[in-house]
Order: sequence, then C-alpha cells, then structure tokens
Amino acid sequence: MAELHSLQIEVNGQKQQRSVQPRQHLVDFIRNDLGLKGSHLGCEHGVCGACTVELDGHIVRGCLTLAVQAQGCKVRTIEGLSEDGDVRDLQEAFIRHNALQCGFCTPGMVMAAKELLQARPDATRTEVREWMSGNYCRCTGYHAIVDAICETLAARAQKGTGQPTDQVNA
Amino acid sequence: MKSAAFDYVKPNSIEEVFSLLRQYGDDARILAGGQTLLATLNMRLSEPQLVIDITGLKALRGMRVQDERLHIGALVTHTEIENSPLVAQHAPVLSQAAPHIAHRAIRNSGTWGGSLAYGDPAAEWPCCLCALDGTVHLQGPDGARRVSATDFFQDLYTTALEPGEIVTGADLPVSTAADWYGFDELARRHGDYAVAGLAVAARFKGTVAQKVNLCFLGIGAVPVRAWRTESVLAGKTLEEATVEIAVASLKAELDPLPDLTHAPATKRHLATVLARRLLTAAHASRSAITA
Amino acid sequence: MELSGDLVISATRAQVWAALNNPDILAACIPGCEGVEVVSPTEKTARVAVKVGPVRARFSGRIRMDDVVEAERCAMSFEGSGGAAGMARGQSQVELSDEGQSTRLRYTVQASVAGKLGQVGGRMIDAAAKQMADQFFAAFQKHIAPAVEIGALDSGSPRPASAGGGDVVDAPSGSGPLASSEPGADAAPSPAHRAAGRPSGQAAAPAAADEWLRVKWFVLGSLATGLGVWIGARL
Repeated sequence: MAELHSLQIEVNGQKQQRSVQPRQHLVDFIRNDLGLKGSHLGCEHGVCGACTVELDGHIVRGCLTLAVQAQGCKVRTIEGLSEDGDVRDLQEAFIRHNALQCGFCTPGMVMAAKELLQARPDATRTEVREWMSGNYCRCTGYHAIVDAICETLAARAQKGTGQPTDQVNA
Repeated sequence: MKSAAFDYVKPNSIEEVFSLLRQYGDDARILAGGQTLLATLNMRLSEPQLVIDITGLKALRGMRVQDERLHIGALVTHTEIENSPLVAQHAPVLSQAAPHIAHRAIRNSGTWGGSLAYGDPAAEWPCCLCALDGTVHLQGPDGARRVSATDFFQDLYTTALEPGEIVTGADLPVSTAADWYGFDELARRHGDYAVAGLAVAARFKGTVAQKVNLCFLGIGAVPVRAWRTESVLAGKTLEEATVEIAVASLKAELDPLPDLTHAPATKRHLATVLARRLLTAAHASRSAITA
Repeated sequence: MELSGDLVISATRAQVWAALNNPDILAACIPGCEGVEVVSPTEKTARVAVKVGPVRARFSGRIRMDDVVEAERCAMSFEGSGGAAGMARGQSQVELSDEGQSTRLRYTVQASVAGKLGQVGGRMIDAAAKQMADQFFAAFQKHIAPAVEIGALDSGSPRPASAGGGDVVDAPSGSGPLASSEPGADAAPSPAHRAAGRPSGQAAAPAAADEWLRVKWFVLGSLATGLGVWIGARL
C-alpha cells in the first residue's frame, strides 16, 4: 500500500540516502538499512529505553520515531558517540563499576546518561535515579549504573568541565 | 512488534491538513510528537491508512506572553516547557509538572498539543490547564475557536475536538506575586502513569487563601476539579485544622474510578495525601513570605 | 473489572425485556456496534468497532444467555476477539422489576480484557467500561422511552448514519459487546451527561428521519451521477 519515501539523513557524521517505508521506525532503519547494531529493541513501545538514540542533539526513543521523521536530521548512535569520545569517562566508569552484564540495555543507558551529564551536571543520586528510570536493566540491579553515573558527575564537577548545556528541540 | 503499513505525508499548510482529514476521516491519524500514536501503531492497536505529520506547521510552535496570558503552541515539546524561563516565571506549575511526564527521551519528542488532544486521565497537562482555568485553541476547516479547559475534557479520551479539527495551542493566565502553585503526583515508579496527581493554583492575600483551585488527575475519566472543597477553602488560612477540613471535604466529594490495581478507596486516600502535602506547602511558603 | 448499576426505564418490563433481546435495538445502542445477529434464542453474535483514545480495534463476539426467566432476569456470558488487540470476556447479570409504570433494571458485570489491550489499557478498563455502559443505557433509554420527537431530524449533526446507527464516536475498549454499566442519569455531573448528549447516540425517532435522509442522499447521488454521465458523454 505505502509508497517508499526517499530519506536523506546524517548518521554518525555520515550522510546517507535510502528509500524507506513510512512505517519503518528509526532504530529498524539504523540496524537493518545501515547495519549499525548497537541500538537495541526491547519493548518497541517506548518504555524500556533500549532504543534510545540521539536526534539533532537530544535523546529520543528510536522505536517511537519514524525514519521519515528524521528527514534532514543528524542522528548519533552509541557507535558514533563512542567514536566521538564525548563520554569516554562515563563508559570507563561503567566498566569499573561492572554496570553492564549482558550489555543489552547499555547503549540506551549511556545515551540517557549522556544527556543527564549535559543537562544536569549537579544532579543528586535521587535525581540520577529519576532521570534513568526510563531505562530498564534486567541484569545489574541498577545500583552499579547509578554509581558509575554519579562518579562521572563528581569527577567532571571537580575538573570543572564547563557549563550545563540543555539542548532543546529547535 | 512492527506497525502495519501506512502512507505518510507532511503538509506545509494547515488547510492541507484539514483537506486530508476531510478526505480520510478516521482512517488518518495526526502525528506530532508521536509518543502515543507510534506506540499504538507499533502494537497494532490501530491501523490507519494515512499518517499526517503536522510538525511542518510552524505557526503551532513557540510560546509567548500576551495580554496577561501565556500562550503555548501545540507543537511545543514537554522538554521545551520544562526548560523554559518564560514558563518558570509565568506558569510555574507547568515547570513543576514537566519532570513527571514519562522520561526525558519521551519529553524531547512529545507535545503540549498532543497531550491535550488525547486527554488521558493521568496526563499532566490537561490537569494543569484545568487548575489554571486555561483555554484550549482549536482550528478546523470552518475556522478557529476556543474552549475553556474545564469544558474541553468531557469524558474518557473524549474532548471537544470535532472530527476534522486539530488543537493549535492553549493559553493560561500568567502568575502574579499573590499566586502560589504546586504540583505533585504519586506513581509506582517515577515516570509511570500516575495513580493520582494534584495541581494547585492559589491566590493569597497575606496568608489568607482567597481562591484555591484543586485539580486532580488519575481520579476520574477527566481532570477533576474539587469544586466543593475549593469553596470550603476560599477565604481561609491554610493551617493544619483547615487542611484537615479540606481533606474531610475531599473524602466526601471525590468519587474515584478504580483501575486495575487501585480501588476507589485507595485513590481517594492518595488524593488526600497529595492535598495535605500541597496545601501545607502553600501555607508554609506564604507564611515565610509574609513573615 | 467489576461494574454494577441500577436505573429506571420508562417502559414496562415486557417492553424492556423485548428491547434487550432485539438485535436491531442492541446494534443501535451498543457504542460502535456494526451489527448484531441472532444465532438462537439464547445466543447472539456482534461486531463492535471500539475506539478509545488512540486505539481502534474491531471486536467480534458472542453473547450467550443462561438462567433465563422471561421478563425478569437472565445471566449472560460474553467473549470477544479483537484480533491483534486482544480478547475480552465476562459475565453479566440483569434483573428487571416493576417500578410503577416503569421498570427498574439492575445489572452487574464482571469482565476481563486479555492481550495487548489488557496489558496497555489495563488502567483504563474500568473507566472505559463505565463510559461504554453509560452510552449504551443512554441510547437504550432514548430508544424505548415513548416521548421522542420525530422533529429531531435537523437537530444536532445529522451525520448520515448507516442503519443500525453504530456511528458512535467514543466507544471505549472492549469488555465485550454488551458491557453494561452505570446509568447516565445519576452519574457525576459532567461526563456521562455530556456523553449522553453527544450527537452520536442514535435515538429511535430518527428511524424515520434516517429514512428521509437516505432518500435525499440517494436522489442527490442519482442526479449527480446522471449529470456526470451526461457531461462525460459530451466530452
């Protein structure tokens, strides 16, 4: 029934052009059309957070975003974020605290935490827990994840790494 | 799971939207933030023929203060409201409520207009707008109209929106120095749909509450204004004894609907917990100011 | 989910009983109903288009009557499938008693919704069932209560509803085809009252009005077709 739409999109700094079905959501596009498997699908209705990716600078649920909605936008996945090194300190803290076991939730966790680090650099532990409550983990019991994030916040605060930047939708 | 197939269009004009709605009727769905719609489509709880993306309608963006009222366009996202200094100054109850809406990633996409148009009983914006006696702006092929918030939400997921119309925005009276606002909700986990929530908008003279608007979410099929209790509180100082009178009044006035896991009695109790919290906080705040 | 209600209908017990068993009246009163078929004196099937918030689901279901005491009481069991959306099933008990010239109808319903609709819509089921029942009984009252104006043709919005009037806009999620609930009359002020007042509840009077509308549209359609054919022939 549906005709294909031509999609121009920049993913992890690379311009891509594909034809997509309107019904295809962003993570299916990223995984299947672009072969980037780092973004995961858990519930596919927006509650588990495994699909969290960055769209024009802020995190979104990739499963609740149509690929065609990202026309002309810049997307960053966990692969791109890792390469850019923005949260190298957070990722190292994750490893130190054993904040990942099977790793399925981890890309989403790192994405969500990344925006916390930007927007709430002085978050308390309670605020970290509230912020991260949109990402589910079945393995770790969450404390190690929260520990890693808090440690990163503290380390950054100590280093004085700049002002909070809360990027909002254009 | 995956959505069924549909056609997608992103009109540049509102007239095109109306034309498509007229053509497709309920077989077309409006897409703004998509945080409710796309979840529904992914679960195949709806299989429309056409999805109409209205995010190209720039007139529906933006917030502004005009004639003592704050106007918020339908396409403004929850995060924009959460972060807005304009909102913090002129409608602080919205700033207080925003962090309770789902989670950050959803707030970055979900919209003010979408929340109002669906009118979920547990949604924050319909409750806040009713507490503030705000006004919803609608537009259809026959023109634009306005409906007061308390008239707009009519029944479960039923609003004054006629087929072929869309929500273009809503406005509300701006805060003054005499006003106090509070919002709180109770959910099993942060970000879950609230079991009960309360938005309070009160106008004081010293510590005397001249008017107290109490609006509950999650208690009925629509936001519930506790009219009787509001009149009990009018002209009173909100010290402990008065708060307990208000709580007793709420217990008599509220007739909550149960949900899957909460009996009406539980909801009624939780509503009074919130009332106690917020009314006490209001009194403490006003006492500190006038002390 | 459990629901119960108690309402008075301005008709005799026999009339109310007959109406409750009349598939055409049921089809007209059940919100979103697209048809009711009689399988046997104690069994019916129904198709209902359910529309609650963002959800659109079509349920096809079966209603069975047991413990029937004519014009007095019956127990009903129902189950419906909503395709990908899930399933609904339940029981209800209905009792009729005389109240002067009118009839008191008491009912209880126990229902459950399974599948995705139950999972995602679980918190809505009570509210949705209540809304559906309110709408059903509001329409039912209008259908069988005697004082209905034929002149209701041009009032409200005469959407040319198809026969059987299943044109209701706001049907909630499925507790099955005949989920009955609270009466509209004594519910809390705004919601049920407004719900009952919406143009969607098909009243009995516009049966005649509907017919007239259908004739009008048919004539218009024929004229338009004739004109089109005439123009086409000329090109």
